[in-house]
Formats: sequence, structure tokens, C-alpha cells
Amino acid sequence: MTLETVGFWVVAALLLVSSLAVVLTPNLFHAVLYLAAALVATGAVFLLLEQPFLFAVQLLLYAGGVVTIVVFAIMLTERLVGERVGQASRHPLNGAIVAAAVFAGIVGFLIQAPIRATAPAPVVDTTASIGRALVGPFAVTLELLGVLLVAALLGALYFARSEE
Amino acid sequence: MIAAFVVLNAVLVMVAYLTLLERKFAARMQSRIGPYYVGRPHGWLQPVADAIKLLLKEDIVPTAADRWVYNLAPIVFLLPCLLIFATIPFAPELGVADLNIGVLFFLAVSALEIVGLFMGGWGSNNKYALLSAMRAVNQIISYDLPFIFAALVPVVLAGSMQMSAIVAAQQGLWFVAYPLVGQLAFVAFLIATLAAENRVPFDILEAESELVAGFRVEYSGMKFALIQLGEYAHMLGTSFLGALLFLGGWLGPGPVALGPVWFVLKALLVFLVITWVRWSFVRIRVDQILAISWKLLLPATLVLLLATGLVVALRGAGGA
Repeated sequence: MTLETVGFWVVAALLLVSSLAVVLTPNLFHAVLYLAAALVATGAVFLLLEQPFLFAVQLLLYAGGVVTIVVFAIMLTERLVGERVGQASRHPLNGAIVAAAVFAGIVGFLIQAPIRATAPAPVVDTTASIGRALVGPFAVTLELLGVLLVAALLGALYFARSEE
Repeated sequence: MIAAFVVLNAVLVMVAYLTLLERKFAARMQSRIGPYYVGRPHGWLQPVADAIKLLLKEDIVPTAADRWVYNLAPIVFLLPCLLIFATIPFAPELGVADLNIGVLFFLAVSALEIVGLFMGGWGSNNKYALLSAMRAVNQIISYDLPFIFAALVPVVLAGSMQMSAIVAAQQGLWFVAYPLVGQLAFVAFLIATLAAENRVPFDILEAESELVAGFRVEYSGMKFALIQLGEYAHMLGTSFLGALLFLGGWLGPGPVALGPVWFVLKALLVFLVITWVRWSFVRIRVDQILAISWKLLLPATLVLLLATGLVVALRGAGGA
């Protein structure tokens, strides 16, 4: 096993454990922290695939995002001081069945795809090619996403405006 | 590996002496002398004495604390603050890793700092700590965007996110001297830095008159030291980033070997400007802080970034 393979298995185990902990931990705050760990581990997977740009974006967007989730989770469900509100699912069995079905579906999809023995030749500068792709073939998608975000922003403004 | 070891140790020593520098500077501004007796002349052993004192102090964990979160928080807080130094080159070819996404890596990793901060504030199970952590989240979310936009102006001017390429692009003219956009971006960068470092006038999250010491109120001994270390390391890292993005990094008169000296001096200059503001201004209110960010700094930096893009488009090549 190369160092890279070892790295992958370590990161994969971390990712799996922390993702499971997100849904299984009864304490909401701990669940969010596990979510942060899972997101950072996902970033590490990107790093192993030699995509530092995606790694950085993953950290930048989700680190702030996670903290926002924490704040909203606390404001919406828990008192600042006092008893903690549980957030675990009341139907773990049903959930497990759905999860197993999705897992089977993904595995079935994956084994249909041919397995390549060797990694494809790495692109020299992925950051630059991502940038070119965003303003080239995917320009319309990018613009549509921009419109979507502006719509979300306007919606938030509508809700936040003072009653008048 | 060796480079990482050297950089890490150099950063830790610099951070220790940064505290002495700040105390001396603050004392000067207030017509005091500052640390004097521990190591004459001028208390040069004070940081060492502080470190020994903190190491020997009793480590107290509040009974009501969320033990795991409380104990882990200083480490989660410190890690990103040290990791940001990984992409800072101190001279051409002298650094841990000159990634081609250097600036982005710096911004991404330093954004993780808030997770450790919030863990500390929440895990302490103390109302002051929690209030402080909530304020910190508010403030850091508000100032992240202006900070990133201001830091992107030199990136656009240089046409690269690689630290060494940004310095190379300043060979003729430092970006702080770039007509109009350079100065405005530098000012925006400094303001956003003050907020990101939680320094006065943006220090509502540790406002000692209302929140005791903010999110670290329950920490003592070495855990407190780790948090302080992280805070000052982050400040030092951001000073280095400012020197690199706007003040030409290691460029300066004299032989190339003097490069790291110039770079450190410029970073210290940025640090002293931050400290100068800290000891001159009063704390402003929460709503004022948020208003400055969302109503002034964010639109201003957005327009500035667009203007920079226009400048680069008009001048042609754009370095890339």
C-alpha cells in the first residue's frame, strides 16, 4: 500500500465515523461539530485527489456555513442555558432501511461503471481550468446560480424587513 | 518537513515577542514604561517568564462544562492559526509550500478558526462565554466577505493566487501604491483585519467591561496560553499576508538575502498599525459594527473589486 492509499483509508474512516455520528448523536451541538469534521474530511478527499482548489473552497464555504448552522440550531431549538433538546430520529429502523436502500442503489451504480486501473493524467493547472470552464462552457449555469442567489437574498430581505 | 519545523518554531518565538512588542508599544502610547524588570534592559525575558508562569498554573475545568468540547477547543482554535503560515513564503523559494492557490488556502484555513472559538464559548457553559461566542459568529460572518474581497484586489491585479507570483507582480510598483484601487483596498483590508482579529474598536466579543474576557473566561493555565497563542499567531499571519499582498513582500533595496528581513519588518509595520488603532480607539456597539460591515464595507469592496477588474481589463495583459 502506498502512502496515498493509507491516507485515503484514514480519511474515509474518519468521514464515515463522523457522518454516522452526525445522525446518531443525541446532542445537537455535538452533531454539528461532527458535521464540521465530516466536511473537513471531505475536503481532505479532494486534497488526496490533487484538487487543492476544491479543498480550499470546501473549507471556506462550509466552515462558515457550519457555524451559521450551529447558531441557528441553538437559537431555534435550545435554550441558551438549561436542558438540551434531543434531535435524534424517532424512527431509527425506517431510517436505516431507507439508508440501506440508497447504499445498495449507489453500489449497484458503481459496479456497473468500468474500474480504471490507472489514474487519468492529471491536468496541469486545475484551478485555471476550473476558472476557464466557469466562464466558458458553464457560463449560463454560473449566471443562473447568480440569479438564484439574488432571489434568495431578496427573499431574506423580504422576511427581515420591518413591519410597516 | 524541515522547512515546516523551522517556520513553526520561528513563528512561535515571534508570537512570544509580539506580546512584548505590543505591551511596550501600548506603554509608550500611555506614557508608561511597560515590562522592565524581568530581563534588563527593558524586560526582554518577560515572554519567557509569562510562558513559564502559564505552564505552571493550575488547569481548571468547570464542572458544568461540556468536557470534550471544552478541552478540545483550544487545539481546534490553534491549529488553523498555525496552518496559515504554511503558504507564506518568506523569500523566493523559502517557505513550506508555495501553493498555486496560496491566498485562497490562507483565507479558507483562517475561516476555520471560528469553529474552535465557538466550541470554547459553548463548551465552557458560561453565559459570558456563550454571549461572546455568539457575537464572534455574528462579527466574523459579517467581516469575512469584505476581508476576502479586499484580499482579492491584489490577486486580480497580479492575475494569480500564488503568493510568490503576487510578490513578483509588485516588482515595479507595490500594490499599496497602485493608483486609487490599491490604497482603498489596503484600507479596507486593514479595517476587515481589525474585525477579523477582534481588536478594538471591534472587540465586542471580549469586551472586558461587560463580558469579563469573552469566550476564554473559563480557561486557565496552558489552555488559556494556547488560545492566546492562536490569537497572536493569527494576527501575525494576517500581518504577513498584508505585507505580502500590498507592501511587496520581500522586495526592497539591498541584496536578495535581505528579503526576509524586509518582509518581517513590513509585517511588523502592519502589526503596529493594528496595535496603534487598538490603543487609540474606543469600542463601538454591536449594531454599529454590523452596519459598518453590511452597509459600507461590503458594497464598497464589491465595487472596488469590479473596478479592479475593469482596470486590469483596460490595461490589457493583466499579468496572467
